[in-house]
Amino acid sequence: MTGLHARTALTLAALAAALAGAALLALMVGTRPLAPAQAWAALVQPDAADPAHVVLRQLRLPRLAAGLVAGAALGMAGVLMQAVTRNPLAEPGLLGVNAGASFAVVLGAFLFGVNDSAALSALAFPGAALAAAAVFVLGGAGRGGAGPVRLTLAGAALTALLMSLVGALVLVRTEALEVWRFWVVGSLADAGSRPLAMMAMVALAGGLLALALGAALDALALGEEAARSLGARTGWVRAGTLAAVTALCGAAVSLAGPVAFLGLMAPHLARALVGPGVRPMLLAAGLIGPLVLLLADVAGRVALPPGEVRVGVMTALLGGPVFILVARRMRLGAPA
Amino acid sequence: MSRGLSLLAAALLLACLLGLAVGEVLLGPADLWRGLLTGEGPGGFTLRVLRGPRVATGALAGAALGMSGAIFQSVLRNPLAAPDVMGFTAGAGLGALAVAGFGAGAGLSVTLGAAAGGAGAAVAVALLALTREGLVPLRLVLVGIGAGFTLTALTGFAMTRLPGPEAMEAQRWLSGSLAARTWGHAGQIALTALPLALLTAALVPALALLEMGDDLAAGLGLRVQRARAGLAALGVALAAAAVAVAGPVPFIALMAGPLARGALRRAGTAGPGAVLAGAALTGATIAVLADLAARAAVPGVQLPLGVMTGILGAPCLLWLLTREMERGGL
Repeated sequence: MTGLHARTALTLAALAAALAGAALLALMVGTRPLAPAQAWAALVQPDAADPAHVVLRQLRLPRLAAGLVAGAALGMAGVLMQAVTRNPLAEPGLLGVNAGASFAVVLGAFLFGVNDSAALSALAFPGAALAAAAVFVLGGAGRGGAGPVRLTLAGAALTALLMSLVGALVLVRTEALEVWRFWVVGSLADAGSRPLAMMAMVALAGGLLALALGAALDALALGEEAARSLGARTGWVRAGTLAAVTALCGAAVSLAGPVAFLGLMAPHLARALVGPGVRPMLLAAGLIGPLVLLLADVAGRVALPPGEVRVGVMTALLGGPVFILVARRMRLGAPA
Repeated sequence: MSRGLSLLAAALLLACLLGLAVGEVLLGPADLWRGLLTGEGPGGFTLRVLRGPRVATGALAGAALGMSGAIFQSVLRNPLAAPDVMGFTAGAGLGALAVAGFGAGAGLSVTLGAAAGGAGAAVAVALLALTREGLVPLRLVLVGIGAGFTLTALTGFAMTRLPGPEAMEAQRWLSGSLAARTWGHAGQIALTALPLALLTAALVPALALLEMGDDLAAGLGLRVQRARAGLAALGVALAAAAVAVAGPVPFIALMAGPLARGALRRAGTAGPGAVLAGAALTGATIAVLADLAARAAVPGVQLPLGVMTGILGAPCLLWLLTREMERGGL
């Protein structure tokens, strides 16, 4: 596991280049289209009097940054979840993380009348983090290694429970419904008002921890016994992974709202491109996540003019079929 | 009727009496009795107009959902198979919102949209889960979950396009509610669900054969695929009939079957016909009791039925999961 193979490095470079292209597209496309030269000028020589420059610097740049952080965090969180649970269907959103954030947001709106974007972001973080921890414990990263199906169903059950509670709260208080129904579709649109710098730091910490755990997770993939005999301290590895997943998911949901399926798609594309090693997969998924998210966001901006289709809806449309494809390919043993 | 079924029927009767007696106005046994017999006295209006249709609609919709779930659980030989897990509930919600969003907001077209959406989602999930291995139950459940999340995201998108008051109305409907039901609703579910239940009863012998395994059933002369498709269609139709009057109430279909099976086993044997009837009785009991709990949970606020079944049903799903794990089923 020392260093990356030349082919992997080349793939990662190509992904980075594609991501740069998507980022440029994310700056140019919108209700007010900008030419590449204009976008470039606004970046290097901002002119506060030019409305186009203001649009770019105050709306699209924060949106782009939020997309990059949230996409990378979700991609890496997906790799970690799939690696440590050995479940090809593991994905933060499907495992109840989004529902946890939803519940926290609605609870805030219900109890304290919270309705501004920054405060909702701050609420979403602990909600998502707690749910991530809960489903990890529930789905048996613990003893015996639970079957992949159990984890998915545990996530679905947790989601159902939390969403029922959300349903109760929003029906009692109209203001909570008004806040929640716009937050829940997942959007990068008001990224400017969210705690971007802080969440970027949290996600970075989570990402670095994930990369540090890469080799140990590779050993864990061989099974508990083999990992121990290779010197991995499995208890610590699992705890570290949980911490990294919590930080990554929390940051992503806080910045982008609930975005489903991205943490599922990115690892599968990454595995197809760079093979099964956890560390190269983390790097590749960290690039693929934002690439998909930015492209979905751009597509959402032009899909139904004059409005926008929120990015969470776009990723669900893209990711649902991927999930079903994976489920079709899984070996589920002999028909019962 | 076996001892187990009699017990379940008694439980339903008790639940209905509780559902009729308890509410903002508490009715004593004497008021209840007089109101039921004569339609007069302090309980008369409450029973005739407020609680009677609500309890009747809830019981019938719950029975349809319970039977629907039991059909799927038998046909697919998997206790986790239920219309909700297969994307039916999510599809029904999206179908209703799609119809409402296109401006045809009248009651009937919305319920038709819901029924069509749910049935469409369930059929699509079944087709998508069909691989060279055949219809593996676990794959069906997984595909259903994936489809459910996608459909829910689309429902969320539709919700952002509605103005505030309509969004509240839609959210209430999406939760699955028995508020303000009339005798018309009760009549509708009775007229749609009873014929379907009779058809299902006619297919019980085929179900009994199917439970022995495909090979044995085919060897005994059953057209396995055709019987399975017919039963599944009845299951979908029963769930659609319930959704049309009560909205997409989650988890009743999932819970009723295993609970009924457990109760019947404890009281003796549990053949497929008894399980179907027991699941219908149990589903009705759950619906009536959950609606009662939802009405009484927060003073001054009427929570919808579906919120309560969701809170009750999720732990039930986890319990089923754990049990299946211990049996080595997953």
